[in-house]
Amino acid sequence: MCVLTAWVASGCGASGRDSAANDRASVVSAADELATLTALPWDSVVERARGTTVIWRKWRGDPAINAFVDGWVAEQLRTRYDVRLEAVEGQGAELVNQLVLEREAGRGRGTASLLWINGETFAQLRAESLLAGPWAGVLPSAAYVDSASPIITRDFEQDPAGYESPWGSVQFALIHDTVRTPEPPRTFAELAAWIQAHPGRFTHDQGFTGVTFLKMLMYANGGGVDAFAGGFSEERYARGRTAVFEWLARVRPQLWRKGTTYPPDVAAMHRLFANNELDFSMSNNQHDVINKIRQGVLPPTARATLLRDGTIANAHYVGIPFNAPNPAGALVVAELLLSPQAQYQKLRPEVWADGTVLDVTRVPEPWRSRFASLAQDPRALSRDSLARYARPEVAPAYHERLQADWRAWVRGDTARRE
Amino acid sequence: MSRSLTTPAASRLPLLAAALVAAPVLVGAGYAILASLGLAGPGQAANGMLDASRWHFVLSSRSTWWSIGWSLQVAIISTALATLGAVVVAAAFSTSTRADRWARGVATLPLPVPHLVAAASALLVLGQSGLLARIGYALGLVQTPADMPPLVYDAPGVGLMLTLAWKEWTFLALVAIAVRGSIGDLYDETATGLGARTWTRWRLVTWPLLWRGLLPSVIAVFVFALGSYEAAVLLAPVQPAPLPVLTMERFADPALARRGDAYVLALLALGIAALAVGLHEWSRARWSRLHTDTTRGASS
Repeated sequence: MCVLTAWVASGCGASGRDSAANDRASVVSAADELATLTALPWDSVVERARGTTVIWRKWRGDPAINAFVDGWVAEQLRTRYDVRLEAVEGQGAELVNQLVLEREAGRGRGTASLLWINGETFAQLRAESLLAGPWAGVLPSAAYVDSASPIITRDFEQDPAGYESPWGSVQFALIHDTVRTPEPPRTFAELAAWIQAHPGRFTHDQGFTGVTFLKMLMYANGGGVDAFAGGFSEERYARGRTAVFEWLARVRPQLWRKGTTYPPDVAAMHRLFANNELDFSMSNNQHDVINKIRQGVLPPTARATLLRDGTIANAHYVGIPFNAPNPAGALVVAELLLSPQAQYQKLRPEVWADGTVLDVTRVPEPWRSRFASLAQDPRALSRDSLARYARPEVAPAYHERLQADWRAWVRGDTARRE
Repeated sequence: MSRSLTTPAASRLPLLAAALVAAPVLVGAGYAILASLGLAGPGQAANGMLDASRWHFVLSSRSTWWSIGWSLQVAIISTALATLGAVVVAAAFSTSTRADRWARGVATLPLPVPHLVAAASALLVLGQSGLLARIGYALGLVQTPADMPPLVYDAPGVGLMLTLAWKEWTFLALVAIAVRGSIGDLYDETATGLGARTWTRWRLVTWPLLWRGLLPSVIAVFVFALGSYEAAVLLAPVQPAPLPVLTMERFADPALARRGDAYVLALLALGIAALAVGLHEWSRARWSRLHTDTTRGASS
């Protein structure tokens, strides 16, 4: 029992190198160590990271992303920096809960040195002072970040303030089959008419993507994204909520299973779509459809489509927790992810097709030419369309409230307390 | 071991072992109580004051009671189905013939299948476009996926109940076969000698003995089915949400302040499990007393 407890307390398998990092932790906190590192020349940071292990908690739900991280990223880190990467599962609420528990346990350092975050998770981590920083500005590749894009420089309207570094961007898209639905609806009004004409063939999932769909509906029928910009407002939310639930109430009887139940996540929606139980799926990544066709999850005739009312685009980031055992290693991984080489690699359609956060006109050669000549997959949405219909995220509270109200609505429950 | 040989240290050992086994549950329950009152965990009150609003909200929420009722129903039905299957296997294949030994072996084959794999397989078999639906299509019974009755994500939880019953049946069958083996044939032969027919022997001799031996495992299966997350999250509907799914949903609520609700739900689940175990202990004690009284009566 004591051995088990000691093993759990030691981080369940943290490597010897991490133990060495933990020893340092007993002397200085991760935040202090990070502050020291950010004052050093970059080469010194790299030197300190050599021979260490970085545990990165990230969403591991997509084989293409896992292959990129476990393969290309891990290999680059090993050969260029002698840093070992362990990418383990962990996302959203789990990350916040875990760090709160680690803080309560009173340990000097935790287990993970890097976290994949955005939106409400970033807001909660900041509110609970669970992130170390600021540090993002010291990464050499930060100079190439597209600072003109509000989708990258604002995370759900929040200023990252150097506490997180961007590493990719995505945009919501509906997925349809060009054989079954050659002319998909292009607006929420058309979508409502389509649903009523095709009972049982449309739904959305219960997870993040489903709530993003509802938020787009809120923008479209509640006066546009500008009506919700500039922080959370109870009054504006009440108007948006009314618009959302009016639309939903109108189509609910014609939704899949009459709107009594909803697929748990996007993976379940993809399966229902591929098996012809649904005529639409959806994804928070406009290029997901191409990856999933390649993996054999979706039929070759599946394509992404954008609603002209606007589709939400957002960026994803990495953050360093307050108790990171290896801040130097975390900085090196964040730099590699932001480097033109990694950004180009993951933008390639055959790798992941994740959007870049760099201003590709400012990156050095040969990357500028490579970005410019990167052939787009013929099945992909055009960059012009994506840019034209992209809408930014609004304050995280809209997401939280909409999810809570939707659950109460589906379950016929009383409104949740605030 | 006779009483005179038991040293004080030796008599304390079982208590120590029991305390070690119970410690994680007690520590966890203690922490959950603190977190449910806003004194620890994610979203705890900033001022460190005791806050009972989580209990009030969870207990006054309709979804909590829907969830508990639905989960109890699923756990009871799946446990009953699994018990029935196990008893049938133990009763039908009780001899030491090669055929019976094979049948018992085959009946326990699903035991090593993980619950997650069983649930994922249930999606592929029972879904409206699954294997059953495709067989139905081949036979001309089903034309579109919507013609197939929903067995997953369905309001009654048929797919979840079948999956849990299929997985737990093998576990209970293993126990039932062992209990049946330990009963031996003496009681049966005695009853036969006294003129009892097959059904009477089964009803008055085999079943009561089998049931007494199987009951602790049945309680364990019921408690497991009530708290099982993997199968429920893959197969259950949104409304009512199974208790473990609702608990995890609250623990991952986008609003940090609401995550404490999960501890209240976890404590309610623990309370139901403890009640089931307590009822079993009570019935066992009652049965033991009856048994002792009967034995005394017979010997006097």
